[in-house]
Amino acid sequence: MPLQDSEAIVLRTYPLGDADRLVSLITRTQGRLRGVAQGARRPKSRFGAALEPLTYLRLWFYERENRDLVRIRQCEILESFLDLHGDYRSSLVTALAAEITDAVLPEREPQDAAFRLLLHVARGLRETRQASLALGYFLVWTIRLAGWLPDLDRCSSCGRFVTQAPHGPSVASSAGPEPLYWSLSQPGLHCANCRRPGMRTLSTEALAAARRMLAAPLHQLALDANSPRVSPEFEAYFLDMIEHHIERHLASRRIYEESR
Amino acid sequence: MPDFAEPIANLVEQLKRLPGIGQKTAQRLAFHLLRGDREESESLAAAILAAKNNLRECSICNNVTDTDPCLYCRNPARTQKSICVVEEPHNIVPIEKTRGYNGLYHVLGGTLSPLNGVGPDQLKIKSLLERLKKGTVEEIIIATNPTTEGEATAVYLSKLIKPLGVRVTRIGMGIPVGSDLEYADEVTMSKAMEGRREL
Repeated sequence: MPLQDSEAIVLRTYPLGDADRLVSLITRTQGRLRGVAQGARRPKSRFGAALEPLTYLRLWFYERENRDLVRIRQCEILESFLDLHGDYRSSLVTALAAEITDAVLPEREPQDAAFRLLLHVARGLRETRQASLALGYFLVWTIRLAGWLPDLDRCSSCGRFVTQAPHGPSVASSAGPEPLYWSLSQPGLHCANCRRPGMRTLSTEALAAARRMLAAPLHQLALDANSPRVSPEFEAYFLDMIEHHIERHLASRRIYEESR
Repeated sequence: MPDFAEPIANLVEQLKRLPGIGQKTAQRLAFHLLRGDREESESLAAAILAAKNNLRECSICNNVTDTDPCLYCRNPARTQKSICVVEEPHNIVPIEKTRGYNGLYHVLGGTLSPLNGVGPDQLKIKSLLERLKKGTVEEIIIATNPTTEGEATAVYLSKLIKPLGVRVTRIGMGIPVGSDLEYADEVTMSKAMEGRREL
């Protein structure tokens, strides 16, 4: 099979055999792939530090007939984010982002937007060191790219705007911005009138933070003196939604929440 | 219909549970054991059982040992002033092979690994801090693997230990002996430059 190459970001690795690594990556041209890097755990491995999680690299690989796993031939580091792991919270955010990307994206479907999002968040985190903001930004955009994001401006049941419509004519509620309510069993966000028993609140602050994250790049938000505040309630809503769609718990979520 | 008689199929299944052993290797091992003497199989089974029955964790450093404390912790010739922190008991062996270290050890039982659900509470960090409170230790050498998780663990530990007034050092990282600079990637090279020493 011919040798192929692509830009890629390492999501996670697993030890395989005596000295090999099984690597999960998101590539620009082929989407999410899993491959074997032979001898990658040996001190004199040709892969060096290239296969550490979140490394942005150029990857050369070839497919093998009737095999799901590609064979990784060579890597060249384009950008390393190893320094992020000097801060515990930042390293937890990178782990959570990698786990979510690994779980949300299907194998072998190119997703350039998801690729750029992960790279953007890693760079933003290194630049700003604002772990909660970076995670919040990653969650909102991941859910939007996956097509799961409900309308943040109006009720999914009755269609009433709870704040000024971002585009078009103003149909703002006379009472000003309102919180919305959610439950994993009821898709969308619901106003106070349509709220059902057991629904949880998504506050006006959390909604405003999510709207701002959809409108500006991460480094610009971080520079703002009044940057969006990512509350535990905000994280819970978006993480619960992701876990609901991938139908499993995120292993790194518990560790992240314990670190607060 | 199964491929093998049930006892062989069972043996293959058990061998497949070992790390790095797939179906074909398990079959080769199973048939190798069957071809060998009965005494050979009995001594292998006895060795596995003896290891399971007689080995435990050292109550001081968490190393795997047949006597508590382990041979490193009870050796009066070893200096009590330094502790080398490693991920797993088998990481002690390459350090001992250097014959250049004469201090104590502490086995963490892994590294911080959020993706595998391992946080600080799952590691033997509290017992390490308890050892430091006795005041005899002057240096902690962190010898976790030079990986993302190993680095995160090293930084996390250093932030906990430094306020106790103990010197924290990290094993050197960079170019392996016998390799060529031409083939070093920039991360490895930058680590080597950071860890340079005066001649």
